[in-house]
Amino acid sequence: MSRLNRRDFLKAVTLAAPALALHAPWAHADGKSRVLVVGGGFGGAVAAKYLKMLAPQLDVTLVERNRVYVSCPLSNEVISGHGEIKDLEAGYDGLQKRGVNVVFDEATAIDAAKRTVTLKSGTTLAYDALVLSPGIDFNYAGVEGYTEELANGDLPHAYKAGPQTLVLKKQLEAMPDGGTFIITVPPGPFRCPPGPYERASQVAAYLRGHGKTKSKVLILDANDSFSKKGLFEQAWKTHYGSMIEWVPGASDGKVVKIDPGTKTAYTNFGEHKADVLNVIPPHHAGSIARNAGLTNEKGWCTVDMLTMESSVQKDIWVVGDACTHGDLPVYPMPKSAHAAVTQAKVAVGAILARLAGQPAPTPYFVNTCYSIAAPDWGFSVVHVYRVEGGKLIYAQEAGGISAIETPALTTLRKLEAGYALGWLKNIMADSFA
Amino acid sequence: MGIRVAIVAFLAGLGTWAHAADSIEALANTCNNCHGVNGVSVGPTMPSIAGLPQAYLTNVMLEWKSGTRFSATMGRLLKGYSDVQIADLAAHFAKQRWVPQAQKLDEARVRLGAQSLKRCEKCHGNDGLPRDGETPPVNGQWAGYLYLESLKYHDEAVGMSNRQMRGAMKRLRDEDLRAVADYYASQK
Repeated sequence: MSRLNRRDFLKAVTLAAPALALHAPWAHADGKSRVLVVGGGFGGAVAAKYLKMLAPQLDVTLVERNRVYVSCPLSNEVISGHGEIKDLEAGYDGLQKRGVNVVFDEATAIDAAKRTVTLKSGTTLAYDALVLSPGIDFNYAGVEGYTEELANGDLPHAYKAGPQTLVLKKQLEAMPDGGTFIITVPPGPFRCPPGPYERASQVAAYLRGHGKTKSKVLILDANDSFSKKGLFEQAWKTHYGSMIEWVPGASDGKVVKIDPGTKTAYTNFGEHKADVLNVIPPHHAGSIARNAGLTNEKGWCTVDMLTMESSVQKDIWVVGDACTHGDLPVYPMPKSAHAAVTQAKVAVGAILARLAGQPAPTPYFVNTCYSIAAPDWGFSVVHVYRVEGGKLIYAQEAGGISAIETPALTTLRKLEAGYALGWLKNIMADSFA
Repeated sequence: MGIRVAIVAFLAGLGTWAHAADSIEALANTCNNCHGVNGVSVGPTMPSIAGLPQAYLTNVMLEWKSGTRFSATMGRLLKGYSDVQIADLAAHFAKQRWVPQAQKLDEARVRLGAQSLKRCEKCHGNDGLPRDGETPPVNGQWAGYLYLESLKYHDEAVGMSNRQMRGAMKRLRDEDLRAVADYYASQK
C-alpha cells in the first residue's frame, strides 16, 4: 500500500465506524475511539503524534504535568558547558497543531475496570486504550540521608533534566582545583545505562578544559560493570589520565548513606568526602503505574513483548523507562529515549489493530544510544530485535558497541560525537514536532 | 485502493489493517528516530534519506551489512535486517521527495566552497543535483553530515572503497572540506 492509499484507507475506516459500533464495544456514539496518553516525554509524545498521524480521526488526549519538556539525553553536556539547556527543550504546540488534545495536568489514578484516569484537578477522563509513559520516579529512601528536598536544593541528582542540571553545573564550576566530584550510581536497572559514566566524562572534560587538573572524579557504583565500559575506559585513559576513578560494587562501591552537611558518601565499609556530591538514587516506574498495580516486585511494569500491552491489565500499553521490556535470554531493552520511541510506535500499531479488531502487526524494536566522552569523542551502542516463532529475539549478529581498536579511531569518534547531536534534533522532532 | 473497496475489505474482516501495518512503513518508521519523519532530517549531522536514488540506498545498506563499507553506526543496525527488508526500505525512501534543507551557512565559506569544486563537479555538478541513478543528490543536504562524510574519504585509515571520492577528498584541506560541504548544502 502506498502512503496515499493508506491514508484513504484510514479515512475509510473512520467512515465505517458506525458499522463497527455494532460489534465493537470501544466505539462510541460519535464514532470516535478515545486514546489517552499519560506522560509527555519521548514515549508519550511520539505515541500521541503517531496515533494522530496514522489515524487522524482518533480522539487522542495527552496528559502532561509540565508545559516544557527537557530532554535528558545530552543534558550531561549542559553540566560541562558543551551544550545549552534551551536546545534540549520542547513544547507541546507541535502536537496540538496535529490535533492532539493536550491537557496540562497530573494523572493521579487509573481505574482499569472502568477505563478511566483521574487528574489532580478532579477531572476524570475515559479511554478505550491507554498509553502509559510515566517514566521513572526516585526511591530516595534507597540512600539513607538523601531526600527529595535535598535533591531540589544543595544536592541535585540531575537525573531528570531541568533546574537541577543547572545547579549541578554551577557546583562544578565553583569546585576548586584539587576537589573531588563524586557520582553515586544506584543498582540497575536505571534509566540511561551509560548516563553516570558519560556524566563523569563530561565533568572531567570541564575540569581539564579549565585547568583544574588536580581534581578527581570518583564514581561509586552499586554495580560491577556498566554500559560501554571498554569504550569509556579507553576514552578516560586517552583524555583524562587517572582523573576518573570507578569503584565497582564488589570493591565496596555501593553508597548506602550520605551526610548532606559534610557531603560525605558512606559505603558499607568506607567513607568518601566530596566537594560536589551527585547522588543518583534508585529508580522505579512512575508512581502512577505502581499505584495502579501495574508493577512487579522490582517496581517495573511488565508488558507483552510484541505489543507493549501491560501483562497485568488489558487495554493499557506501557512504554518507555517505566516498563521492563525483554528479559534474559532476550537482551532487555535499555531505558533510553530511542527505545521509548520505538516501543511507542509498536504500541501505536497494536492499539490501531485492536481498535480495528485485527491482530497486532509485526513489531520492530531498535535502540541506538550515543555517548560523548570528550569533545569530538563519541560512541554508541546499538540493539536490534526481531520476532522469530512468535517470540522477541535479540539479533545477536547485529548491534553491539562501536569499535574499540581501529586504525580510524579519531575519525570514528568524531563522526559519532557529531551524530549524537543530529540524533537529538531528529528524535525531538520525531516526538514533538 | 479506493475508499469503497477499503470499506468492503474492512467490513469483510480480511485483515487489511494488519496487512497495512505489517507493511514496510512500520519498519521505516524506526528510521525516523535518527533520519527525521519520513526520512527528511532536521538534524544537521544526520543525512536526509528521503528521495535518495534507490540503487544508491540499496548498495550502501547492503555494503554496510556485509561490512565491505565502513560505517560508524549503520552497519551494526543493518546486520539485523534481511536483504529483502533492506531492498524494501530502499524502495520506500527512494519514493519520497528529496527536500533540500535551508541552513544557516557562512557566506564566505560557501564562496570558498564554490572555488574548491574542481574535484567534485564531475559527479555532483556545481548544483549538487543527481547526475545518474547512483549518485546521491547533495543539494541542500545537511552541511554537518556532508563534512563528516567527507572525513571518511579524507582519512586513509578509514579505507573507503570509492577511489574517486578518496582521491578527491584526500587532496582537500580541512577548511576546504567544510567549504565544499557548505557550498553544496547551500544549493536548492
